[in-house]
Amino acid sequence: MSTAPGMRCLVPDFWSGILLASLALIGLLLVWPIAQVMVLGFMDAETQQFTLANYTKVLTHRYYIGALLNTLIVGVGGMVGACLLGIPLAYFTARYAVTGRNVIATLAVLALVSPPFIGAYSWVIVAGNNGWLTQFVRSFGIAMPTIYGIHGIILVFSLKFFPFVYLMTESALRNINRSFEEAAENLGCSPTERFFKITLPLVFPAISSGAILCFVLSIADFGTPSIIGRDFRTLSTIAYNQYTSEMGGQPTMAVSISMMMIVVSMLAVVLQRYMIGKRRYAGALTNLATPAALRGAFGVLVHTLCYAIVALATLPIAVVIYTSFLQTNGPVFSGGFGLNSYSRVIQEVPDVIANTFRFALIATVLITLAGGLISYVVVRRETPLSGLLDSVLMVPYVVPGVVMAIGFLLTFNKGAFDLVGTGSIIVLILFIRRLPYGVRATSSVLRQIKPSIEEAAISLGASPVKAFWKVTVPLMVPGIIAGAMMSFITAINELSSTLLLYTARTATMPVRIYSAVLDGEFGIAAALSTILLVSSGLCVYVVLRFSQSKESAFV
Amino acid sequence: MPTTSQVRIKNIRKSYGSHVALKDIDLDIPAGAFFTLLGPSGCGKTTLLRAIAGFHQQDAGDILVGEQSIGQLSASKRNVGMVFQDYAVFPHLSVFDNVAFGLVQRKVAPEQVRQRVHEMLRTVQLDELAGRLPHQLSGGQQQRVGLARAMVIRPKVLLMDEPLSNLDAKLRVDLRRDIRQLQQEFGITTIYVTHDQEEALSISDQVCVMYDGVVQQVGSPWDIYHRPLNRFVASFVGANNFLLPGAAHADGVHLLGQPVPAPSAVRGQAGVSAAVRPEKVAVNQPPRGPGVQVQGVLRHAMFTGRELQLSVEVAGHGTVEALTAPDEAMVGLRNGQTVQLGILAADVLYFAAGDTGRRLP
Repeated sequence: MSTAPGMRCLVPDFWSGILLASLALIGLLLVWPIAQVMVLGFMDAETQQFTLANYTKVLTHRYYIGALLNTLIVGVGGMVGACLLGIPLAYFTARYAVTGRNVIATLAVLALVSPPFIGAYSWVIVAGNNGWLTQFVRSFGIAMPTIYGIHGIILVFSLKFFPFVYLMTESALRNINRSFEEAAENLGCSPTERFFKITLPLVFPAISSGAILCFVLSIADFGTPSIIGRDFRTLSTIAYNQYTSEMGGQPTMAVSISMMMIVVSMLAVVLQRYMIGKRRYAGALTNLATPAALRGAFGVLVHTLCYAIVALATLPIAVVIYTSFLQTNGPVFSGGFGLNSYSRVIQEVPDVIANTFRFALIATVLITLAGGLISYVVVRRETPLSGLLDSVLMVPYVVPGVVMAIGFLLTFNKGAFDLVGTGSIIVLILFIRRLPYGVRATSSVLRQIKPSIEEAAISLGASPVKAFWKVTVPLMVPGIIAGAMMSFITAINELSSTLLLYTARTATMPVRIYSAVLDGEFGIAAALSTILLVSSGLCVYVVLRFSQSKESAFV
Repeated sequence: MPTTSQVRIKNIRKSYGSHVALKDIDLDIPAGAFFTLLGPSGCGKTTLLRAIAGFHQQDAGDILVGEQSIGQLSASKRNVGMVFQDYAVFPHLSVFDNVAFGLVQRKVAPEQVRQRVHEMLRTVQLDELAGRLPHQLSGGQQQRVGLARAMVIRPKVLLMDEPLSNLDAKLRVDLRRDIRQLQQEFGITTIYVTHDQEEALSISDQVCVMYDGVVQQVGSPWDIYHRPLNRFVASFVGANNFLLPGAAHADGVHLLGQPVPAPSAVRGQAGVSAAVRPEKVAVNQPPRGPGVQVQGVLRHAMFTGRELQLSVEVAGHGTVEALTAPDEAMVGLRNGQTVQLGILAADVLYFAAGDTGRRLP
């Protein structure tokens, strides 16, 4: 044997080392901060003694119960709205030859990757008190129903998050074996019966995964309710407000509220898992249905509906880009077009732009490296410890950004760990919040690469580490690129966690957009948003260009 | 017992763009028969089956089950049972609910449904597994569910689209026997699609060989194998050596350079081919009648346990395949050794020119 005897012992150690290092890293950046939040919730703000009073207060005080109910309402509202838009769109594009399906899918992806607070504020521009549409409708003497408040939030969430339902359901619908539906027909089902008895149950796992994602993201979102909600309080807005008003003292109420959010998200995920149960149907790639041709009035109706949905969803993007080119004089639009907003942005906040890309780039590199290694450990070295790693990585999915930020502030505030106010704390929170997505992107590719390919390399004399780098990594590259692009997009658009962590020196574009919107500086907000949108759009292009899974790479 | 019916396919035509998939198919399938559509992929057999099921609308022609025309009915109204190649057992429903599906659809009373489903599951030996979900079943068990689900509605015709092709060899043979047994027990008219000629011969009352959208021959398995009507049937069903007859002589032609007696229709026709089955080629045996005796060089020998396959090169005439009972002396033959081949004139069939050239008398 040509392999040195020492290599044999060393090689398992390499991956065990990675496993242990990953667990330590996740313990430090994820478990510890959340544990701090959890513990602090049971502490009296004054006496530092154990108490249940915070939770009793959250669960009995009308103010908090109201916010909890509101959160559930916008969560369910956003989820239902997303399903109402996403499922029909998925059905039409999967089952009928809709002209321009790729355009529809790309627009949906663009809507998906644009930050939700941009949606909120451009709906204010369109349908707010002084919005174009409001003024237009008012000119006919009709009072527009206000966009502010609960229905505005639900509208924004539905339009923002439906692509999750759409993309997941569409790919599930496409993968249904045609024979199932034919068998149902053969046994006497009409097309409608067939849809409800066979098709819908078969895509239910996909629909519910998409729906639950919409729910979790809706209840975690901070920017939308605070921009468009007016006095409508959700858990995430009051957690933020409580935290900022409790500055100096112990933020016990903020963390108790945070725990409520985690519990609600987790319950939703558990409920969905329970409902799906063992129902995971492997898609057969043989015998797939061919889309039916669309003709006549029905065809016109279907096309109108499909394009109307994606047009509404991408309207905020168009509005923001349009607004960014309007001439401004200070905060006021002075009529006509101009590059005024951009020159102001470049003069006034160049560091904000640089920060955003710098933080996002570092976080993306870290996510890509750690994500690649962790996914290898999770997929290829199945041990109880790697299973633990896999489960712990689920946590960031259900922890809202505000909560994670509070955890970070509680954890990294003293001694060697004093990171408050630094760029590092922002990079680290971007890293830990998006790491699971990076791991998922690479592990899904890795699962498709058969271990025998690596074994072949080893049998030809490569060491396992070398086999990994020479054979597996090159095969993973498309997935890694797609994952990195997704990490980058979410990192540059992150608001809910960075809003609690930034200082004047470490502000990012979303933070600056948020404050510009609150100050009514729509020109600056639009110019910065356009920069974010164009950057996200370029990343989307790269993914669509290089990823085999195309649109489904985004969900 | 379900009532069973004769099926008549009347001048079915179907094209996809410029490609004609079915060219005026006309078939009479007797009540209670096991009728197999056999052919290579793309021959139209599956298209025909799907037209009968109602998944394809034919461009012209009609389908009659008994006296009833079903050619214009939607698939859900045809009342024909169908078993799918990929089982198509609904993955979200239990075995029981899968089998009950068609009965519930027909608004059969619940008590009746329960009784009939269990009875059918007992017949296919799956009663124990009624509560399972499909992913907990093996492929063979899933296909039994598919079979039970199609039979329990007591269809007038049972359609089967390569139901065994996704199963492994051993299971395929077992389930094949079970299907045949059930079919005979219920006396149900069955139309079965396969590309596996051995399966077709072993299971059917009648085999219909199709090629290029056209019926080449309908007949009993024996006739299909021993009396192929044209060159395609001879080449597709079973193995055959196709030889080019040499110059004609007074009462025959030359085969492998030797004169053999042949029917007068063969002589002087261009493009004629002669066919002889490998099992009719004798190796190192004394001649048993008029025919060819020729020497060749052994190029390849394969012992499969049940038989011995030999490839023998005859100088100037290419390779001849022979299939013999395994004789230990012959298993010991080495490549390059000379062997004696014998073919009886009576075992040679002649076909006119072309892929589907008819058999010459």
